[in-house]
Amino acid sequence: MQELQQDTRRLPESVEMGSLMDALADSFTVEIEGKRSSVAAWYDTFDWRLYNHGYLLRHGDRHWHLLDRGSGETLVTSRAGTGRKRVFARDLPAGRLRALLEPVLDVRALLLLVTLQSEETRIRVLNRDRKTTVFVEFSRQQVRGTDTVLRLVRLVPVRGYDKPLRAVRAFFDEHGITGQVPLFYDFEQGLRAVGRAPGDYSSRFAIRLDPDLTARQAAITIYRHLLDTMLANEEGILRDLDTEFLHDFRVAIRRTRAGLAQMKKVLPADITATMKEEFAYLGRITGPVRDLDVYLLKERDYRARLPELLQEGLGTFFTDLAEQRRVEQKKLVRALRSPRYRQIVTTWDEYLRSDDPTPSAQGDVPVIDLARRIIRRRFKRIMKDGRAIDDSSPDEHLHRLRIQGKKLRYSLEFFRSLFPEDEVGSVIRQLKRLQNNLGDFNDLSVQQEMLARYLRGLRPGSRRNMELAAAIGGLLTNLFHEQQRVRKRFARTFSRFGSRKNVALFRKLFY
Amino acid sequence: MSVIAVYNIKGGVGKTATSVNLSYLSACQGNRTLLCDMDSQGSATYYFRIRPAKKFNTRKLLKGGKHIDRNIRGTDYPGLDLLPADFSYRNIDIALDDLKKSRQRISKILKPLREEYDHIFLDCPPNVTLLSENIFHAADRILVPLIPTTLSHLALGQLLDFLKEIGQDRGKVLVFFSMVEKRKKMHGEMMRLLRDEPGVLPCGIPFLADVEKMGIYRQPVAAMLPNSAAAESYRVLWDAICGKLERP
Ligand SMILES: Nc1ncnc2c1ncn2[C@@H]1O[C@H](COP(=O)(O)OP(=O)(O)OP(=O)(O)O)[C@@H](O)[C@H]1O
Ligand SMILES: [Mg+2]
Repeated sequence: MQELQQDTRRLPESVEMGSLMDALADSFTVEIEGKRSSVAAWYDTFDWRLYNHGYLLRHGDRHWHLLDRGSGETLVTSRAGTGRKRVFARDLPAGRLRALLEPVLDVRALLLLVTLQSEETRIRVLNRDRKTTVFVEFSRQQVRGTDTVLRLVRLVPVRGYDKPLRAVRAFFDEHGITGQVPLFYDFEQGLRAVGRAPGDYSSRFAIRLDPDLTARQAAITIYRHLLDTMLANEEGILRDLDTEFLHDFRVAIRRTRAGLAQMKKVLPADITATMKEEFAYLGRITGPVRDLDVYLLKERDYRARLPELLQEGLGTFFTDLAEQRRVEQKKLVRALRSPRYRQIVTTWDEYLRSDDPTPSAQGDVPVIDLARRIIRRRFKRIMKDGRAIDDSSPDEHLHRLRIQGKKLRYSLEFFRSLFPEDEVGSVIRQLKRLQNNLGDFNDLSVQQEMLARYLRGLRPGSRRNMELAAAIGGLLTNLFHEQQRVRKRFARTFSRFGSRKNVALFRKLFY
Repeated sequence: MSVIAVYNIKGGVGKTATSVNLSYLSACQGNRTLLCDMDSQGSATYYFRIRPAKKFNTRKLLKGGKHIDRNIRGTDYPGLDLLPADFSYRNIDIALDDLKKSRQRISKILKPLREEYDHIFLDCPPNVTLLSENIFHAADRILVPLIPTTLSHLALGQLLDFLKEIGQDRGKVLVFFSMVEKRKKMHGEMMRLLRDEPGVLPCGIPFLADVEKMGIYRQPVAAMLPNSAAAESYRVLWDAICGKLERP
């Protein structure tokens, strides 16, 4: 089918819809269909995964419609029940829609962004055979929960009937209805009415620092961005919408802590010290739920690691974890509603706005000098520690190196906008590879420790606990083997990171 | 993607009624659907209130490409397009005979359309002709409306023999009962006899006045009278066909 050209126009305030329809009926042979009401609910993840992927997702009339944002084409229509406020990929009807969206959504939930309630009257423009040649759709759309109303007329062409289409277009032009609106105008206006905008949140840390800033100004910019990220994720954590709100929240905490440690003398000593402590506290209260999320998200992976015989025991394990998470989530919500939390966030927020004149040791250094010094120091440290690791080094050394890697990564990300993008990008890519190896290694040991702890806590006796213990034992073995494989890959991964080319690039950028 | 030819050697068995309703139902499910009216009488075209462009004819059809694109018309139903038939199709066999690879031409001109549509229906004229041979080559499925009578059964045998003769897979053939009249004893007997044959679908379209009236209101009965028994029987038929399309 040829892509039908979109022609939707906004009715000026002065135009009365009814009289316009009458005028249309006077000028053409038409058939007016009865009024129809419909509801269009738009969904995306908090971080706009569908939008960024070129999709839009609408629910209405008990169907999902997946649309191509560029062309307006409907990619999939799929039957569904009534729309809910939160939908995971697994809640979508099995079939093409789910198959397309599952990899895009991953663990993120689709959330209801905005709902438009619309009243439509469709008029068919007919030829002498009473064949439809153009559809004219008048609609009045109300953005739910707001005063915003859109009044639109849409001309839908029928393939092969260009002449009548031109005549209908001319009719609207003559009546002063010329204001063509872009594709998905309703979606955009709806979002605007509820105070959202596509891409208004991203979990990527992306800020532009002006190279002329002082270290202090740059630090404030960075902390501001991180605090905004935390605040943006608060509601999703409290409502427990999906696991990534907490994840992003914790990453922002960790980045802030890394900043406070690395840019130690950039803010006055007392505020740095206080905030270090406060953010450590935030890390602590948010830890338990995240740890449990990590395991719960691994359910499929764990199941794949064990034979049929041990699956039942594993089921018990996950039921247990889910129960623990429920308890921990409650505690987390209480903590985030507590005065202490509000106090921390407000103090920091106010401080970042305050333009505090108290001098600090390194506040006035140009940011570029600070950036180079921090990155240089981190890099040297990694090279030294990494080179010292061989096949007989204790696991502890790899764990330490992982922390070093993380610190380097954070500082590279803080300051990447000060350096040529492709070169920093390349440095970060190399570092990522190393981090993946170290991260896997660490994850696998943390998992084993957790499982071992869980195992020790089991009371022997019941059949249920025996099966559970067997499953845990199976997992432990499997994870242990994998960890050894990961460890074997370390040497090669590190030597790539420490390649002459990569070292030269570091020197060029940061020395 | 599948090309479904609705065919029977015999005339007046409900081929056009079937093509019109099934293509409509296909489009209703969100499939991009094209109905090609291959019959010079243009009944399917008429049912959708469409007239072919003055410049369209057999020669244009056989050239394919943009000559076809230009002549496809949207119906009154979203997702359903129609390629109208022209009166000149009545001599299409002569035109085909003049071409190289005269048996694969329709297959060739449908190729680009296969990209554009999820389902293409071909409403065929009766009789065994060079055109029908072309259509057998082009189609993924040959849907045969069969009035359950002895004579119809013989005609089906002829069709299967012919397919064998031209080296086409008989497994392409799907048979369903058309214009079934409960009161007629012979209908019941023939249906019992054929029920378990391979490729025979377990459903039929009864003989119903609502289908006949399509010529008056010029819409698919499934669109005009969605709650009628006729509409329901076409829906059941379409579901059964979809089941076969998925599992060849
Ligand atoms: N199920 C039915 N019940 C009653 N009448 C029917 C039914 N199906 C088709 N008809 C009517 O029978 C006549 C022939 O049907 P149709 O045109 O669909 O058959 P056809 O096989 O396409 O014929 P032809 O071979 O002439 O193209 C039409 O008047 C049609 O309205
Ligand atoms: Mg016919």
